[in-house]
Amino acid sequence: MSETWLVIVGLAGLTFLIRFCGWALGQRLPQTGFWARFLSALPGCLIVALVALFTVKGESAELIAGGIAVIVALLTRSLPATMAIGIVAIWALRTYA
Amino acid sequence: MVLEKLDFSEARKGFIEITPLAVGVGFYGLAFGLLAAQAGLSSLEVGFMGTFVFAGSAQIVAVERLMAGAGAAAAIIAGLALNLRLLLITASVSNVFSQRPLWQLVLGLHLTTDENWAMMLARQKRGGASGYWYLVGGGLALLLIWLVSTVAGVVVATSIPSPKALGLDFAFTAAFIAIARSLWRGPKDLLPWLCVVSVVVLGLYSGALSETWVLIIAALAGTTVAGVRR
Repeated sequence: MSETWLVIVGLAGLTFLIRFCGWALGQRLPQTGFWARFLSALPGCLIVALVALFTVKGESAELIAGGIAVIVALLTRSLPATMAIGIVAIWALRTYA
Repeated sequence: MVLEKLDFSEARKGFIEITPLAVGVGFYGLAFGLLAAQAGLSSLEVGFMGTFVFAGSAQIVAVERLMAGAGAAAAIIAGLALNLRLLLITASVSNVFSQRPLWQLVLGLHLTTDENWAMMLARQKRGGASGYWYLVGGGLALLLIWLVSTVAGVVVATSIPSPKALGLDFAFTAAFIAIARSLWRGPKDLLPWLCVVSVVVLGLYSGALSETWVLIIAALAGTTVAGVRR
């Protein structure tokens, strides 16, 4: 097998293993007490971590556009509106600022 | 069991509502296809990889490592490191897959990515159904656009505008901001979320950890705070 196919097959198999192990882990954690609160807070914390990582590692344009997107999200609660205004904001900041 | 039946209208909703995110994915697909062509991958290899790995950032990093001559093992490990967050993602929604036939479990888990996972959570928060078919519908839309755009990137393999030049790299940040807003459960989330942001800032500026580990440690720190508090 060529090196490329080795990477494709290896990455595919092991990536599925990661997805499967996450599910198995979630199934095995207790559904009450600490682990229940831990698991129910996980989606929000993971999303916030992604957003923080994307904005903090960027330049000032990412931080400002992120702030604008937060305001739009709070006001409209709309996904398409937040995306559209966020993209226009980052494009304008990078082009003109 | 009723749950096992295909809920077509849920799947269609998932397929349609992910469109704004799928556009962003499509531009990354073109960029990845271009990179893969430079690394010497054929359309067949790129299509196979997209279908069976189905994790964009890991594919990009693995092919980049391959192109740098790092060897197969290093390329796989680099890709897997990025995919560790998928462990937390599928753990956080494990109940969606419970009590389903094996083929639905395998299909649903394989199709779970950041984008359709986040869309499903937002839908559940709005009082939608269990979410499995919504997740699968969104996953199929993403798989389709990923497949078409990556292979197109290989075939065209010329001047494609970079996602960053068009501001499209910010599409995912903006989408996740909107989804975070809908996941806010009230004041009890404040301390865990502040903890997450603090750990990300500290982790990035300390420079001691890679971004993937910063992400995972920050999320775990926030959920631990949420778990300890009553």
